[in-house]
Amino acid sequence: MRILKKTKAALIKTISKAKSKLKLKPKKAKTPPVKAAKKRQQAKEASGTYETAIVNTKFSHSQEVYQAPARPQELPSSYNLDRMVLQVRDPRWLHTYWEVKEETFQGFKSRLGDDFFRAKRVLRVYDVTNIIFNGSNANRFFDIQINDFANSWYVDTAGPGRAWCVDLGLMLPDGRFITILRSNVVQTPLDSPSWITDEEWMVPDEIFARLYGMGFGLGKSSPVGGAWQERVKQGLFSSGLSSSPVKKAVKERSFWLKVDCELIVYGATEPDAQVTVQGMPIKLRPDGTFTLRYYLPDGRQVIPVKAKSADNVDERVITPIVTRETK
Amino acid sequence: MPKGYLCLVLHGHLPFVRHPEHENFLEEDWLYEAITETYVPLLSVFQGLVNDGIDFRITMTLSPTLVSMLADPLLQGRYLKHINKSIELAQKEIERTKWQPEFKSLAQMYFDRFSHARDIFQKYNLNLVSAFKKFQDLGKLEIITCGATHGFFPLMDVCRDSVRAQVKVAANHYESVFGRRPRGIWLPECGYCPGHDEILREAGIRFFFTDSHGVLHGTPRPKYGVFAPVYCKGTGVAAFGRDLESSKQVWSSIEGYPGDYNYREFYRDVGFDLEFDYIKPYIHPDGVRINTGIKYYRITGSTNHKEPYVEQWARERAAEHAGNFMFNRQKQASYLNDLMGKPPVIVSPYDAELFGHWWYEGPMWLDFLFRKIACDQNEIGMITPSEYLELNPRNQVVTPSFSSWGYKGYSEMWLQGSNDWIYRHLHAASVRMSELARKNPGAQGLRLRALNQALRELLLAQSSDWAFILGTGTHTSYAVRRTKEHLLRFNRLYDELNSNAIDGNWLADIEYKDNLFPNIDYQVHQ
Repeated sequence: MRILKKTKAALIKTISKAKSKLKLKPKKAKTPPVKAAKKRQQAKEASGTYETAIVNTKFSHSQEVYQAPARPQELPSSYNLDRMVLQVRDPRWLHTYWEVKEETFQGFKSRLGDDFFRAKRVLRVYDVTNIIFNGSNANRFFDIQINDFANSWYVDTAGPGRAWCVDLGLMLPDGRFITILRSNVVQTPLDSPSWITDEEWMVPDEIFARLYGMGFGLGKSSPVGGAWQERVKQGLFSSGLSSSPVKKAVKERSFWLKVDCELIVYGATEPDAQVTVQGMPIKLRPDGTFTLRYYLPDGRQVIPVKAKSADNVDERVITPIVTRETK
Repeated sequence: MPKGYLCLVLHGHLPFVRHPEHENFLEEDWLYEAITETYVPLLSVFQGLVNDGIDFRITMTLSPTLVSMLADPLLQGRYLKHINKSIELAQKEIERTKWQPEFKSLAQMYFDRFSHARDIFQKYNLNLVSAFKKFQDLGKLEIITCGATHGFFPLMDVCRDSVRAQVKVAANHYESVFGRRPRGIWLPECGYCPGHDEILREAGIRFFFTDSHGVLHGTPRPKYGVFAPVYCKGTGVAAFGRDLESSKQVWSSIEGYPGDYNYREFYRDVGFDLEFDYIKPYIHPDGVRINTGIKYYRITGSTNHKEPYVEQWARERAAEHAGNFMFNRQKQASYLNDLMGKPPVIVSPYDAELFGHWWYEGPMWLDFLFRKIACDQNEIGMITPSEYLELNPRNQVVTPSFSSWGYKGYSEMWLQGSNDWIYRHLHAASVRMSELARKNPGAQGLRLRALNQALRELLLAQSSDWAFILGTGTHTSYAVRRTKEHLLRFNRLYDELNSNAIDGNWLADIEYKDNLFPNIDYQVHQ
């Protein structure tokens, strides 16, 4: 019986391994699909903003081409820890990542037997606002079913200004939930002003509303409720930038052609001679040669080159005349 | 007494980029460009004001990585080489544009600017930190510190030992450079989490800044909005909230000044425009075209058609824009004064490197603004946070809200699909660093050096700049490389320390490469 069980377990393991091999890229599916698409869209918008573009000018020149090959070393894929970390992304969203030791999984496997393989991987998200969480006294919780390969996840709590804790666990077929890892507790920020006021520093609502709107650069009469959303909409962050005509012009894609002309005038004389070009003295190279380069505009250029010997006895003048005409 | 105060803050920061192992390293140009285009022009503005007896106040972050690079002899020598090449190119340009007077005068302008940058750089013995210090000692400039390597604190909240190390290393470094403790800090990316004020207090820091919603969404409600600082509950560290109206005026696409058609166009650089053989000595040795800093065109309009830049027109616009900015602050201050019954403080922070580098006329605009505020009115006064707190020691006690000044106001810029993979490694390293510090009190000799270097490598890996670049999704390979490189060095040090097998040669090599914070003490990470 025992042997049979073991074999079965091994078989399932092999299958699941094969499955994971089939998946060409074991992508970390971090977000539910709809959310993921939205997130990608947001990320796109984020990187497309003028703000990012400008801050990027600080980091111009960062070219892929110059990559000196780093040592062929990679960061470890695991740190041999049982650890689950929860972080706040914004008033609504949390990010969690985790690592489970192989022997921890083995422990659950041997404890749960078949059930381990029938169980679903689940994130249980607890609202632990204003309590000291002991595992069973959460204000409420909700579950997110995840896949077996995930090692991080973005969680939409829809709950600004609350405290959260997340368990990675197994949901057994009979409905029991078994915790594998528990995260730290985090607090999401408010996305609007606090309702708590301070007696000593009371301020009438109307005046606060004006100060609040002004603080966001939205004028004197923005409603408190919508001011933050308005700011997010206008994209007033970092250097308060959104899109700009400058950037758009650069991004504009259309076929183009640019043609310009330059003129190179070069020559040689005795190294100690004095040479002028269009009346201006120029410096010779030690071997007596010289090269001059000019932007050549449309029109006629008369370029007298005059050389005088060091003893002022000999003089030679050569005058190229160049005409550019662009049609 | 003025009706209100203007507190201008310029946040000066660049990540630590120093590659002695390569003769030419492209990303080092970030520093060289910022010196020529931002730091020297700002210093010249300050000097001009002092020479003319104009009183002014400005607050600037000089991040510890930026200070370390500005004070580094290798980078100083390389800057000199860089600026000499720029001067040489400008000279050639003066000759090349002989038959194009509208460009020739601009080539001359760049020649003058580059030569001036070199003069200033040499005047301060190649170390611009001493130049900034001079204006701090004169009482015009308040220099504040930043996270040691600009780590984004909210995403280190699960390992506060690292937040503490970022703050303590920065404060100690500041003290060694500027001869006193820092009074204020610019939290990297303005990222604040409730509780981090305790770490600031431990380091003797009295104030920091948040984005507007950091204060506005604080608990309880801040009576004066962002127009007066609040004291953090329990620690008494002051938080100044950012005013967005003044930010918008400078940076908004609609009302923003830098988009004026008379201002210089950033994207047209001779490094890209000129014939290859001619420009080759001034771009990357591999032949890839880069910015040279010589840009001949004005923004002109919303299409790709660009007209030559006219210095005089841009100058007139900068003066007008400075006047407009001042006028709006006067109106704002007077309105707020009526509402609040006391003088508001309007906090306007900007990224320093955008002045001069992106917005070419930015330093000139600042110069006009300082002069107008000093001479043309008395409704607003300029102030530093320290001065404000001295004048107004009584402030409301509030717990500010978690916030940042990044995209959407929280952590998303640094925590999204493209960069979230770094945190499991960074956090694991933080835990390991605390373990090393705990297990190795009072280490000596080689172990001491290895422990200190481990902390340097961890701090360098934490720079928010890498996550930011990964988040923008373009040119990410350098950011990936730096994140991995420092973490790999850290992990190797961790293993070598634990197995008591430190490779002294390798350690010396990475000490030479990542040489910042010479007086670092690994024991701050606990």
